[in-house]
Amino acid sequence: MQQYAQPHSRSSVLSGSSLSSAEHLSPTSGSARFSLPSAPSISTTLGTPKLALRPNIYDRNLNKTRTAEVSASAFAFLFSEVVQYTQKRVSGINDLERRLNTLGYRVGIRVLELMVWRAESSSKAPKREVRFLPALMSIHTQVWRAVFGRPADAIEKSVENEDEYMIIDNDPPIERHISVPRDLNTLSCSSYTAGVVEAVLDGLGFPARVTAHSTPTQQHPSRTTILIKLEKSVLEREEVLK
Amino acid sequence: MSHHLFLLSPSDTPIYSLTHYTSKPTQTTSYPLSSNLPTWSTSAFAGTLTALSGASSATQSHHVQGGSTKMGGGQDRHVIQMIANASLDMIEEVMRKESAMYLKSVDKFNEWTVSAFVTPGNMKFILLHETKNDEGMRSFFHEVWELYLKTMLNPFHTAHTPIRSTVFDTRVRASAKKYL
Repeated sequence: MQQYAQPHSRSSVLSGSSLSSAEHLSPTSGSARFSLPSAPSISTTLGTPKLALRPNIYDRNLNKTRTAEVSASAFAFLFSEVVQYTQKRVSGINDLERRLNTLGYRVGIRVLELMVWRAESSSKAPKREVRFLPALMSIHTQVWRAVFGRPADAIEKSVENEDEYMIIDNDPPIERHISVPRDLNTLSCSSYTAGVVEAVLDGLGFPARVTAHSTPTQQHPSRTTILIKLEKSVLEREEVLK
Repeated sequence: MSHHLFLLSPSDTPIYSLTHYTSKPTQTTSYPLSSNLPTWSTSAFAGTLTALSGASSATQSHHVQGGSTKMGGGQDRHVIQMIANASLDMIEEVMRKESAMYLKSVDKFNEWTVSAFVTPGNMKFILLHETKNDEGMRSFFHEVWELYLKTMLNPFHTAHTPIRSTVFDTRVRASAKKYL
């Protein structure tokens, strides 16, 4: 049986690297499906009274931060640190993009789950997206709106390859304060966004390889294309469901 | 009577499991396969075989140490796990064309019915139950989904790490008590 969401393309990426967050992506495929490791009892007596007053994550309302916004300058500062930190630990542009993608992936799995919960939890029979095109549309509008506050600018389908789709953003917010040096001109920091998209597609059962490319135009100098290359199994499944 | 809940990550790693007992009495039914089985009392697999066939008496003696909870038959831990595991194939088949997250009675095995809930991120909640309780299970899954979501929003939680939070456990148990 095929497991859709196994992070296959990633395990090879991380195997040779020293990224400390790698363990959450490495599928523990060797272990039996139902052997839970014995859980050590976590002592709960440690917290000081002051800590005990702090609300538990399980007490929080998930809709509370629905319309909350993050300061763009704080994000730009944090993201620039993320890029610099990553850049010191890689051997080339490809490696750097892959790592940004991995970081975005961690964001994407959470965005997807939370976004759908907010949309569907009030309904009696919550639904998932099982067809690819509606899923792509929801990435273009809902995911972009949840992450960047506005929908993306366009969706395109590749003419040459039927397994390729593109999401186009004319002015990606995460690149607004980034100027890429000349010797790294193929680098696109939107690889982070590509990771988010990849996680969402993976979660919904459409495994794909997602990359980001700068495609500047006269009007939009930081125009970016998120290229989605679907796996063969997705196209076959779409054919069956037609 | 008991319910068994398993939470499985997208790569089928079990990250949480719960057995919930209710005081409601179990009705004992016999299954045709069990009466046709020879008595393999000497075989090492006898317990498993009779359990799989649905007999409830043969393995009783092996599990008397269980005490108050009724063990034996289809109630063996490893058999339960195997049934839940086997139902994954059915779930994966159904979820490909079914857009609902709550998959009612996707699989059946002897006295057990398997219902599942698939989150958008491909987490699978599997529940083994003996009686029909559609509305209760729907509400139960709904609460577990919210609790799981709150767990996974923690940036330090990863998709393959078992959930060991005592608060999570208490809440799921309370929810099971309420709805199942």
